[in-house]
Amino acid sequence: MLVGLLMLAGGAVAGVFGSLLGLGGGVLIVPLLTLGFGLPLREAVGVSLVCVIMTSSAAAGVYLERHVANLRLGMSLELFTAIGALLGGSIAFLLDERLLALLFAGLLLYVAATMLRAGRRTPAPAEAPAPAPTEAPATPAATSVDPRTDDALPSHGMAVGMVGSFGAGIVSALLGVGGGIIKVPLMNLAMGVPLRVATATSNLMIGITAAASAVIYALHGQIDPYVAGPTAIGVFVGATAGSRVAHRIPLRYLRWLFIVVLVYTASQMLLRAIG
Amino acid sequence: MSAPGRLAPSVRARRAADERRIGRLLIAITYVAVAILTVGVVAMLAAGISPLDPPPLIDLATIASGVASLRPEAILGVGIVVVVATPIVRVIAAAVTYARSGETRMLLISIAILAVILVGVVSASLTQG
Repeated sequence: MLVGLLMLAGGAVAGVFGSLLGLGGGVLIVPLLTLGFGLPLREAVGVSLVCVIMTSSAAAGVYLERHVANLRLGMSLELFTAIGALLGGSIAFLLDERLLALLFAGLLLYVAATMLRAGRRTPAPAEAPAPAPTEAPATPAATSVDPRTDDALPSHGMAVGMVGSFGAGIVSALLGVGGGIIKVPLMNLAMGVPLRVATATSNLMIGITAAASAVIYALHGQIDPYVAGPTAIGVFVGATAGSRVAHRIPLRYLRWLFIVVLVYTASQMLLRAIG
Repeated sequence: MSAPGRLAPSVRARRAADERRIGRLLIAITYVAVAILTVGVVAMLAAGISPLDPPPLIDLATIASGVASLRPEAILGVGIVVVVATPIVRVIAAAVTYARSGETRMLLISIAILAVILVGVVSASLTQG
C-alpha cells in the first residue's frame, strides 16, 4: 500500500509542478517512475502517455468550452502529430533503452534551457507564460481570446507547422511527453498564432497525439495498470490543484529550483544511458 | 481556409456552440475516467497490491468478467481504455459536427486522424508478443 500511496503522491507533486511551471506531466513522470521507482524506461513512457492524455483532455475540454482553442487548426496539425506518434510508437520498441534515456536527458536539458531563457525575460501580463498542457481549467488568463482568430487557419507557416507537428509526434511517442514544448513555439513563432490560442490548441492536440502511441504501448503490454492508476490519479489531482493556486505563487524561485532539478535529473538519465 | 472575420455571425455562433458541446463531452468523459481509475486504485490498495508487483495480464476479452468480479486490474484496465479513448471520441464528435455542417475538408481530416489511430492498433496487434 505504501508504494501505491507514494506513487499517488509523486504523481501529485509532478502534476502540481507541471501546472505551475507550464509543463506537461511527462517530463516529470518518466524520471519519477524510472529513477524513483525503478521502472523500465519504456514502461514509464507508456504510463506517462496515459497521464498526459488524462490531464490534457480535461484542460482541452475547458479550452473548447471557452472557445480559446482553435479546433480546426488543432485537428489539421494533429493529423501530422498522430502520424509522427504512430511512427515514434513503432520505433520505440526497436530502440535500446539506453538510447531512449540519452534522448530523454537531451529533452530535459532542452526544457531547462527553455525555462532559463523564459526566466530571464519578464513577460507582460498579456503575454504570461504559456499554461501547461495540464493547465487550469479555471485559469483566468485562458478565458480571453481575440474572437477573430478563433477558428481561422493561419495564413502562413502551415507547411512548417505540419513538419514540426510530425516531429513533435515522434518525440511524444518516444519519450512519453505531450510535446507542447515544441508545438507552442511552433504555432506562436512560425505560424503567428497568439500565444494563448497556441497553448490551448497544443493542449487539444496532445490528447490525440498521445492516444495514437498509447494504443501501441498498451498492445505491447507496456502500460501497467497498477502503476498507471495511482500515477494518473495523482497527476490529475496535482495538476488541478496547481492550476488553481498558480496565480498566487511567485514562480521566479520555483522556476530556478526546477531548472536545478531538471539538470540533476538529466545527469541521472545520462548515467543510466552510459550504463 | 477561413479568413478571420469573414464568417457570418450565425455560423460563428453555431461553431462556438458545437465546440462547447465537444468541450463538455471531453470534460465529462475525463471525469468518468478519473472516477473509474479511483475505484480501481482503492480496490488495488484494499487488496494489498503494490504497483511494483508483476503487471497483470489483461485483455479486452476478459476485462468484462474481471470488472464483474471487481478485480482491481480489470477496473483499472477499463479506466485506462476510457482515458485513451477520450481524445478519439472527441475526434469522432468533431467529425459528426463537420459532417452535419458540410465541412468536407475538416471531415476528411477527422477521418484521416481516426485512420491513423486504426493503423496503429492493427500494426501493434500484428507485431505484439
